[in-house]
Amino acid sequence: MERIGIVGYHQVRPELDLQMSPYECIFTAVRGALDHAGLKRKDITTVISATNDYYDGKTISNCFKVSAGGAYMKDESKVEMDGAHAAQYAMFRILSQNHKLAMVYGFSMPSCMPFECTRILELDPTFDRPISLMNSYSTCGMQMRAYMKKYGVSEEQIAEATATNWKNAAKNPLALQEAQKADMTAAEVLKSDYLASPLRELMYPLLGDGCTALILAPEKQALKITDNPVWITGVGNCQETYYFGERDLTTSLSMEKASEAAYKMAGVKPSDIDVAELFGYTACEDIILAESAGLAEKGKGDSLVAKGCLNPSGGATSGMTPCATGLNRIIEAVKQLKGEAEEHQVSGVKKAIASGQIGFCAQNNIIYVLEGGN
Amino acid sequence: MPLPDYEKKQYKVTRTMPGAWYLSNYKYKFNLSRMRIMLRGFKEGKILGVKCRGCNHVSFPPKLICGRCLVMPDQWVTLPDTGSVATGSGSPRTDQETGEIVIDPVILVRQDGADTVWIHNLPENYSFHDVYIGMPIKVHWAEELKGLWSDIEYYDPIEDMGDKINKEELAKK
Repeated sequence: MERIGIVGYHQVRPELDLQMSPYECIFTAVRGALDHAGLKRKDITTVISATNDYYDGKTISNCFKVSAGGAYMKDESKVEMDGAHAAQYAMFRILSQNHKLAMVYGFSMPSCMPFECTRILELDPTFDRPISLMNSYSTCGMQMRAYMKKYGVSEEQIAEATATNWKNAAKNPLALQEAQKADMTAAEVLKSDYLASPLRELMYPLLGDGCTALILAPEKQALKITDNPVWITGVGNCQETYYFGERDLTTSLSMEKASEAAYKMAGVKPSDIDVAELFGYTACEDIILAESAGLAEKGKGDSLVAKGCLNPSGGATSGMTPCATGLNRIIEAVKQLKGEAEEHQVSGVKKAIASGQIGFCAQNNIIYVLEGGN
Repeated sequence: MPLPDYEKKQYKVTRTMPGAWYLSNYKYKFNLSRMRIMLRGFKEGKILGVKCRGCNHVSFPPKLICGRCLVMPDQWVTLPDTGSVATGSGSPRTDQETGEIVIDPVILVRQDGADTVWIHNLPENYSFHDVYIGMPIKVHWAEELKGLWSDIEYYDPIEDMGDKINKEELAKK
C-alpha cells in the first residue's frame, strides 16, 4: 500500500457545554488543521465527516456543515461512525488516485442531545430494547464483570488503571477540564457510586462537545507539505456480531482481527509498538482492547497502563466526544511520534497504534499503525 | 390476470414494535454574534449585511462562515431597504371562513446589494398570480422598531421602472 501521510490536524478542546455553535466548532477545527498544515481550502479535494443524525437532531446532518467543514463545491461524504472510520474512508479516496488531499473531521455536541437515549436506539428492538435494562452503563458493567471473573482481575486493579487515566488526562492540555484529575486515586474511584455494578461513576468517561479535524495526503504530496509527516502504514477494521449475547465480552475478536490485518499491512509485530492510543469507554475496555491487539497477555493488560504506554493522553477518559474520539486517539498517537506531546510524551516512540470503535462494548474496531520519519 | 395482493397482512408473520425518538430532549446552539448586530440595525431602521473580505460576497441575513473562503466574514455593510423577488412559489391553504382554496405567495427576497436571499412575505392577500421573478419590493417596517425579526413585517411591491420602460418602448414600436 502507498503510504498515506497525516500532514495537519487540530482538535477543539472539548467542553461539557461548549459556548460555540456547531458550525463555529467545526470551522475552528477545520480552519485550524489547514493552518497547521499551511494549506488553503482550495488544496483540499475531498471532505469526509463523521457525524450522526441522531446526535445532531437533524436528518442528513452533514448537509448543514458544508460551509463550516470546507466542503463547499467539493467532493464530500459522511461516515455515521467514529472519526477513525472516516479517516479510513478518506484513505480509500486518496488511494483510488482520484483525490490528493483529504480533510477528515468528527464532530458532536453531547450537551445538546440525549446521548444515552440515542445509544438505546442502537439496540435490537425485539429482544434487547423492550427489556429497558440494556444501555451503555449496563453493557460496560457486564463486560467488566465477565473480564474480572475470567482472569481473576480485581476491582482494585481496574480502579488503579482508571485513576491512571484520570491522572494522564491532567497532563493532556486538550483534555476536558473536568477530566483533569491529577490527584485521583484508586480509592476515590472505588468510593464513587455504582452506575451498573461493577462499573462506577468515575470509571465512565465524561462527554464533551468538540470537533477534531485531520488532513491526509498521499506520499508525494505529504513530503511537499511537511518535512516530518506521520505515516499510516497499516489499517485494519473488523465488525463483530450485532447480538450482544453471542459475543465473548472478555476479549475483543474484532480487535484481534483488525490488529492482525493492520500489523500485516505495516509489516510490524505487536512487540514493535511503542505506544497505543486506544478508544475504550472504560479503563477495563482499554485493557481488553490492548490485550486483543496483542500488546499484553490476556488478563495482564493493566501492566501496560502502569508502564505508561497505553493511553498516555488519558484515552476516552480525557473527554469523550462521540464521532471524534477515534480521531483524537490518532492525533495523540501522531503527537507521540512527532515528540509534540509535551507533558505526556513517552520517550523514543517510533511506532504507535491508534484505534476507534462503534457499537456496544466495541462491537466494531478500527486500528491504525502509525510511523514517523521520512 | 388478477393483481397480486400487495397489502401486508398485519401480525401474520410480522409484528410492529413501538419506538420513540426523544426529540424533545434536543437543544440546538446558535451563534448570536452576527444576528445580534443585524437586529441592532433593525432597531435603527437599517439593513446590515456582512461582506467577506476574501470574495466580496455580501450575505443578508449575515452568515457566520463564508464557505468559499472558509473565513468568518466581519465587514458590515449597510444595504438599501429595497430588493427584488429572486424566486417564488404558492402555498395553498383552505380559507377557514369561506372554505375556498387560497394560494399564498412564498417568496425569496434578494436585498439590493446582497448576494444571498432570504424567505419573507408579501402584504396579506397579495395575489400569487401577480408575483414574478425580479419584481421590485421594499421593506415594510413595523410601526415601532424593537430590534426583532418582526421589525420587517413584509415586503411591499413597488413600481417596476424596468417594466414601465419596456412597455413604453413596445408601444412606440
